[in-house]
Amino acid sequence: MSHATGVEMVLALLVITNLLLLASSRLRGCIKIGALQGVVIGLLPVLLQGTAGGLRALALTLGSMALKGAVFPWLLLRVQREAGVRREVEPFVGHTLSVLVGVASLMFAIWVDARLALAEPGAVAAPLAIPVGLATILIGLFLIVSRRKAITQVLGYIVVENGIYVIGVALVGEVPMLVELGVLMDIFVAVFIMSIAAYHISREFDHIDVDQLDRLRG
Amino acid sequence: MLLWLFLILPAVLAGACLPAPSATVVLRLVAVGGAGWAVLAGVTAWTALASGPIVAGQGWLHLDALSAYHALVLGLVLGASSVYARGYFQAELDKGALPLGAARRLGALWFGAAAAMALVLTCNNLGLMWVGIEATTLLTAFLICVHVTPLSLEAMWKYLVVCSVGVAFAFVGTLLVAASAQRLGLDAAEMLLWTRLRASAAGLAPGSMKLAFLFLLVGYGTKAGLAPLHSWLPDAHSQAPAPVSALFSGFMLNTALYCVLRILPLVEGATGGVGWGRQLLAVLGVVSILVASAFIVFQRDGKRFLAYSSVEHLGIIALGVGLGGAGTFAALWHTLNHSIGKSLAFFSMGRLGQMYGTHDLGALAGAARRSPVWGVGFVAGLLALIGVAPFAVFMSELQILRAGAEARAFVALSLFLIGVGIVFVGAMRHVVGVAWGEETCVPTADRCGAEDRVLVWGALGLLLLLGLWIPEPLRAVLEAAAAVVGGRS
Repeated sequence: MSHATGVEMVLALLVITNLLLLASSRLRGCIKIGALQGVVIGLLPVLLQGTAGGLRALALTLGSMALKGAVFPWLLLRVQREAGVRREVEPFVGHTLSVLVGVASLMFAIWVDARLALAEPGAVAAPLAIPVGLATILIGLFLIVSRRKAITQVLGYIVVENGIYVIGVALVGEVPMLVELGVLMDIFVAVFIMSIAAYHISREFDHIDVDQLDRLRG
Repeated sequence: MLLWLFLILPAVLAGACLPAPSATVVLRLVAVGGAGWAVLAGVTAWTALASGPIVAGQGWLHLDALSAYHALVLGLVLGASSVYARGYFQAELDKGALPLGAARRLGALWFGAAAAMALVLTCNNLGLMWVGIEATTLLTAFLICVHVTPLSLEAMWKYLVVCSVGVAFAFVGTLLVAASAQRLGLDAAEMLLWTRLRASAAGLAPGSMKLAFLFLLVGYGTKAGLAPLHSWLPDAHSQAPAPVSALFSGFMLNTALYCVLRILPLVEGATGGVGWGRQLLAVLGVVSILVASAFIVFQRDGKRFLAYSSVEHLGIIALGVGLGGAGTFAALWHTLNHSIGKSLAFFSMGRLGQMYGTHDLGALAGAARRSPVWGVGFVAGLLALIGVAPFAVFMSELQILRAGAEARAFVALSLFLIGVGIVFVGAMRHVVGVAWGEETCVPTADRCGAEDRVLVWGALGLLLLLGLWIPEPLRAVLEAAAAVVGGRS
């Protein structure tokens, strides 16, 4: 399998996982799909740059995959168990419509990418990666605003970060090690803290429906 | 060396808070450590200002006039808040409302947040600056719910989600900056250093740089509380304990705005210096002033009132920078004035809240007579914030007006005046009530120590002094910092 087809496979899987996240109402399923997405996009830098990045880049990639594929799902599944919620009941936007929104954001992202021509022609190894990454960001944002459960919002945040990761890999290639490490740590801590917060909310309110957190107004 | 110490000391202090044997020790550590670090910040900033930029860590740390000035303000706000925090939380401790675990966490996160802000100011790398900003969000999230209540959890959740997602946009912007720098052929280690980018700003790809600035403005604008991205701010500020609110308003918002100020010369350089980026910033500033003024009129909760006032003042700073020229100078000066005034107001509000058991401004009627330190501090702080002469805020706002008139931006100026006017009228109602109103509830006894008096009278004295006269060294600092924003290194 050549690298180009490998990259396309990864991007296709990214789109599919996005749509599955939009279509699924079972939280456990969503968390596992998110984990799969994290592992899949971890392959992207390896496919694009091969082993040119050296051992450090490889270690970072593996770390990121372990984080998104194992640590985040573990954290979220724990919160889900503690809070005792199984399903995303009555999201603000229905699941069928959500999938349509997902498709629409993919089309929008492709259009925007064609209009803006961000990278100079030929400079980017995988031209499709930027629109797909952009669509992933949009879908993550949509998940955050259209779902009720705190866990799904955290999942949406992870999806946004995945989209940014793809754009970063495609657009910039290698970012200084220190920066990448810092970003990874921030995301880890963010998800960690959000999980703790969701846990506290479930204990204090007996639910994790964020739309009911509406007492502070004005 | 000095720079490393400035950066690492708060991290060490944060670690020292964790094994502290009692809450009293944590509070003492916060007060002494915070004040000590403030002195160090002053010395560091002074060295940088007197003898040119300090560079360390192979160019990855860089403190120039702009960051040194901000470090000075950070030191001032953090030092004062730390001293104040001791008195504030001591009162909670006496009520038995601060268990040891919560106190340790408070101390560690307090200094952790300081370290993150110091990282943003000192590092030379746009990527690491983003890491620092995101870290301030994460570290301060649990400071909002030192006391776990349904309301504070709600505020914290909104803060976490809105700021994390918002600041994620800034990272897309940072990546786009890197993409627009690709044609410069820098290697990975140098790609995001703002010193390198600024030196060759004219060679950056203008298209992606413009897009980058949009993303960065949305991202850091969210964190800076610029309307319409401010939705997290009133909730977080009103639910957090007063010292934390003071730190939020006094400097955390400015940290995010500082990042925008760093990017501004890059985007201006790339787009030919026609003021494209500055205009966007000015629009966001005017919107913030107007939105804040609309909400401020209806506020009865004192801390929400002050939170919206922060949106207004950050808007004024953004407008000043957006006007350019003398406006940048005035905006930077306004940063200092606002930080002093807002810290004073939050300090007083917090202690009055403890005395009265509420933050409702109606219930605080007559507080100025009841509590000659905190009541008077609140009234005077509010007067200073709404721009009453001869306090310094009035003078810096006047200078922004003058800069606007010079730039012939009359629409922006009239909107600015309308917004400030509405805030003035809305605030006067409360000022009169708190100062001369008939008492409606009887507070618990007023407790204030010598250091509290020093804080209140010191802040008021500074605001008055700066309103009447800018010392020559300060003027030089402001001019140097404004020159950095204007694109000269």
